[in-house]
Amino acid sequence: MSQSTPDTNIDVASVVEDVNLRRIGHYTLIIFFLGFFLLPLVTGIMTALKTNEAIARTVPFMPPLGGGFTLANLEYAFSQLSHAFINSLLMAIPATIINVLLASMAAFGLTMVKWRGQLVILILFLIGIFVPYQAVLVPLARFWNNTFPLADMLSPLFAGIPLLQSYHADLVPLIITHVAYGIPICMILFRSYYQSLPNSLVEAAKIDGASITKIYRRIILPISKPMFGVVFIYQFTQIYNEFLFSFTLVSSASSPEAPVTLIIPAIGTSTSGIDFGIRMSAAFLAALPTIILYVAFAEQFAKGLETESG
Amino acid sequence: MGSIQLDHLTKRFGETVAVEDVTLDIADSEFLVLVGPSGCGKSTTLRMLAGLETPTAGDLYIAGEHMNYRVPQNRDIAMVFQDYALYPHMTIHENVRFGLEEEAGYTDSEMDERVEEVAETLGIDDLLDRKPGELSGGQQQRVALGRAIVRDPEVFLMDEPLANLDAKLRAKMRTELQRLQADLDVTTVYVTHNQTEAMTMGDRIAVLNDGQLQQVGEPLELYHEPANQFVAGFIGEPMMNFLHGNRADAGFVGEHIEYPFDERLERAVDGVDDLVLGVRPEAVDVRRADESSAPNLGPHEFEMTVSVTETHGDQNILSLTHAAESVDHDVLRAVTDGMHIVKPGEPVTVAIDPETIHVFDGKTGKTICNRRIETARELTI
Repeated sequence: MSQSTPDTNIDVASVVEDVNLRRIGHYTLIIFFLGFFLLPLVTGIMTALKTNEAIARTVPFMPPLGGGFTLANLEYAFSQLSHAFINSLLMAIPATIINVLLASMAAFGLTMVKWRGQLVILILFLIGIFVPYQAVLVPLARFWNNTFPLADMLSPLFAGIPLLQSYHADLVPLIITHVAYGIPICMILFRSYYQSLPNSLVEAAKIDGASITKIYRRIILPISKPMFGVVFIYQFTQIYNEFLFSFTLVSSASSPEAPVTLIIPAIGTSTSGIDFGIRMSAAFLAALPTIILYVAFAEQFAKGLETESG
Repeated sequence: MGSIQLDHLTKRFGETVAVEDVTLDIADSEFLVLVGPSGCGKSTTLRMLAGLETPTAGDLYIAGEHMNYRVPQNRDIAMVFQDYALYPHMTIHENVRFGLEEEAGYTDSEMDERVEEVAETLGIDDLLDRKPGELSGGQQQRVALGRAIVRDPEVFLMDEPLANLDAKLRAKMRTELQRLQADLDVTTVYVTHNQTEAMTMGDRIAVLNDGQLQQVGEPLELYHEPANQFVAGFIGEPMMNFLHGNRADAGFVGEHIEYPFDERLERAVDGVDDLVLGVRPEAVDVRRADESSAPNLGPHEFEMTVSVTETHGDQNILSLTHAAESVDHDVLRAVTDGMHIVKPGEPVTVAIDPETIHVFDGKTGKTICNRRIETARELTI
C-alpha cells in the first residue's frame, strides 16, 4: 500500500507533461490582460514625452526615438499646475486628516461605547453614504455662497497668515464639505475594525479607571494605526481626485484657488486643437501625489486590509 | 475590608435570564470560586461585580457600600480577563502602570517604583520593556495579574484566568495564584468552568447552573454532601455514577441493577418513588470474579464486565457494563488502585457499600440522603 521509493532521478517527460494546453491558456490570458491594462498607461507616458510631430507620426505606444523626445510638455504642464498642486494639497491633506480622525472617533462611540439612541445615529450615518453628490450640489453652493459665506468671512484672516493668500479661504468650505461627505464611509471602515477588537481591552481599561476619552486616546487610537493607513489613503485619493464639489464651489478653473482637478480638463486645449502631449503630461503629474502616497503607505495598507479581514 | 454581598441579584438580557435571584455573602479575604458549565451566568455575575453590567434587580455591596450603579473605577476592584486584555501597543511597564495613572496620590516616580515592585513579586521584572506580543502565554498571564495587583485593590475578580494556558502551566499557576492571594490577603472571586480549579483553589465554592445558585460551601462539603444531583455530578472527577430507577419493596430497582436498601437508606427514601442513586467511582469496589461457576454474591455485589480501562499511573478508571448485556452500554465507572490492573473484557465482582450511596429525587434532583462520612476511618490491612 505504502509507496516509499524516493524520486532520485528527475523525469524529463513529467516536466514536459506539465506544459499542457491549460497552462498555455493561463499564460496567454495573463499576457493579454497585462497588455490590456498596461497599454493605455504606456501610451500615455510615451505621448507625454513626444513632440507633437512625433505623436502624429509614430505608433502611440512606441517610445519616442531621436528627435521625437521632449520634456517641454511636462515643463509646460507643471508650470500650469504648480499653483493648483498647492491648492489641492492644502485642501486634501487637512480634509483627510480631520475626516479620518472624526470618523474614527464616531466609530469608537458607535461601537465600543454603549448609549441610548445609538442605532438611530448609526442609521443616519448609513443613509449619509447613499446621498448622491448631484442631489446636494445646488443647495450646497447656495449655502456656502448666500446663507453662510464662510470663505468671505475668513479671507481677511487668511491674508494675515504667512504663506497663505486671502483666496485660500475659498478652500475652507470645500474642506468642510469633503469632511462631512467622507465621514460616513470612513466611519463604517473603522467600525468594522473596532468590532473585530476584543471587547475586554476596553473593559480592562474601564476597570483601570480610564475615562472614555482616555480609552480612545491611549488604547484605541494607537491600536487603529493600520486602519488609519488604509482609510487615509482611501480618503485622500477620494478628496484629491474629486471634481464635482470643486467645480461647484470654486468659481472657475482660472481662479487662483482652483485645485488640480479643475485645471486638468481645460489644459492643452485651444482653438487650434488638442495638444495630447500636454494633456498626458498633466494627467501624470496630477496622479503623482496619490501614487507616492500608495507607495509610501503600501505596507500599512496591506496590514490594515489584513487586520480588517482577519 | 473587602467583603461582598449579593442580595437577590438578577440579570436579564431581554427575555433570557442570565442570573436569577442569587444571594451570596463573601467574607473579607476569602477566595470564592464561582463554578458552573458554560452559560450558567457565572461570568455575568462577575461582570456585575466589576461594574461592566448593571443588575436588573437586586443589590450588590462591596465593603458594605451599595455598588449597583457605581462605575468600575470607583469600586476598588481589579479584574483579570481570560484573554488577559493586555494593551498590545504598550510595553509591559506601561501596561502595568496604566491602572495606576488614575489612582490618586502617586507621583510619577512612585508609580514607576510600584510597577517595579509588583514586577519583582511576579518575576516579570526582566520583561518590563517588551510588548505583550513577544511574551509567552504564562508570561502574559503574569502581566495581567501584575496589572491587577498594582493598584492594591480590595477585591480581585478573575474570569477564567488560567483557561488559555496549557495543562502543566495551569497547575503551576494554580498554586502560584493561591500563594499570591494568601500573601496579599485580598478578597477574590474566581470564575471557572473547571471543577479541579474550583476544588483545589477555593476557600468556598459557589456552584451555578442556569443562572441559579445551586450550592455554596467548602470544597469537601460540596464533594461529600452535594445539595442536589447537579452539584454531585459537577464536582468530582471522574463524575459520580448515577443510576435511575424506582422504589421497590426490597429497595431500588433500576434498569440494570437492583439494589437492596439498608436501614439508613430505607428511612431516608420514605415516600419517594422516583429515585436516582449516586455513587462516586472511588467508592465502587472492584475485585476479580470468583472462579467458581456459581459465584457467591452478597446483596450489594454485582457481576460485571470491564469494557474500558484508563490507566493514569496512580489509579485506573474502569468502565463497567452489566455482565449479561452488550458491551457498549456502561453502567458504572470505578476508580481502582494503580497497581490493580484489569483488562477490558474481564469479568469482575463489583461491590457498593450502602454507606457510600447518595440518593436523589428523580423528579426534582434534590438530595434525599448523602453518604455517611466516617469521622475517623479505621485502617485495616
